Amino acid sequence: MAPTRTVKNKHAAPKAGSSGGKGSKKSSSDGVSKTKSRSGSKAKAPAVQVKGRPNLPGLDKNKKRKQRVYTDKELGIPELNMVTPVGVTKPRGKKKGKVFVDDKESMATILALVQAEKEGQIESKLMRARQMEEIREARRIEAEKKEAERKAKLEDTKESLRRKRKRNKQGDGKNKEEDENIKDVTATGTKAAKLKKKRVSFAPE
Amino acid sequence: MRALTDQEMKTVLDKLANYMSDLKSLIAPLESGDRYVFRLNHSRVYYVKLSIANLATSISRDALLSLGTCLGKMTKTGKFRLHITALPIIASGARHKIWVKDNGAQPFLYGSNVVKAHVGRWSEDCPEHSGCVVYSMADIPLGFGVTARSTAEARRLDPTGIVCFRQADCGEYLRDEDTLFAG
Repeated sequence: MAPTRTVKNKHAAPKAGSSGGKGSKKSSSDGVSKTKSRSGSKAKAPAVQVKGRPNLPGLDKNKKRKQRVYTDKELGIPELNMVTPVGVTKPRGKKKGKVFVDDKESMATILALVQAEKEGQIESKLMRARQMEEIREARRIEAEKKEAERKAKLEDTKESLRRKRKRNKQGDGKNKEEDENIKDVTATGTKAAKLKKKRVSFAPE
Repeated sequence: MRALTDQEMKTVLDKLANYMSDLKSLIAPLESGDRYVFRLNHSRVYYVKLSIANLATSISRDALLSLGTCLGKMTKTGKFRLHITALPIIASGARHKIWVKDNGAQPFLYGSNVVKAHVGRWSEDCPEHSGCVVYSMADIPLGFGVTARSTAEARRLDPTGIVCFRQADCGEYLRDEDTLFAG
């Protein structure tokens, strides 16, 4: 008998849990007192089981409550995807309204802070500019050096070429003299050495 | 009309510090026992004597058009924009200066940037992108701007190269007459 009842109750469990939560609780409390008073009776044992079952819907309730407790942060919803923008929400426990700066001391402190910050920025800017300037100067000097070296090399090659040309010119002068001698010779009439006709001869068979 | 908040005061002074070397003189007590304060009305920041600011509390916000010297305007994004009306205050303690020749004064007052050919002289050791006050050769402040090049770089620049980007010039008193004080 008991197992059949349990099966029936299992099927009915979700409905019963949602509809009659309070009644079941009451019965369970009553049941506990009754069981304590009549612990020896066998007939009441299934009744205890029945009364014990409504605890299951009670457990479900607890779970539901836990689900309700979840906050947006726990669910991992990004902050920007909220109805109220991040900047608009004001922190709790903080005074409403603006805090004005009108007294001399607070003005002076803000002023000193700002000025020190600005001085630091400008100083670092100047330092950086100077460093950059030094680097540029070094690069410029190096480039000038290279340029000068290249020019010197070019001049050297030019000079060497000129020298070579001069030598050639001197050599050409000697040849010219020889040519002139030959001309003289030809003018006098000794042509034998100069003109030699080429002759073709067939080899004897 | 109200006093500035902590953040507003910081942004205003931060902007002024770009152009001025000594800010302490701004809030230094006067001989009469009075001192200068900053006030905000209709998103405009005014630099005014405390006694006058106290008197001005008797005038409603809407009816109060201006008081003291208008330094500039707080934008909706919380930044501060200096107006040409702040020039006398800035010029009194300018950090960097550029003097333009007579032939460069008119182009500057018509709203163009300062080119190297128009520069008569400039203060030494001026880094790039820092605020500077533009003077005529007769030491009359004409406006202010931001340096485009450092002094060392500007020396190597060609004559048509821009030395200073204009931020405000006295010509705005005429050009922006309608919007300078209201709107």
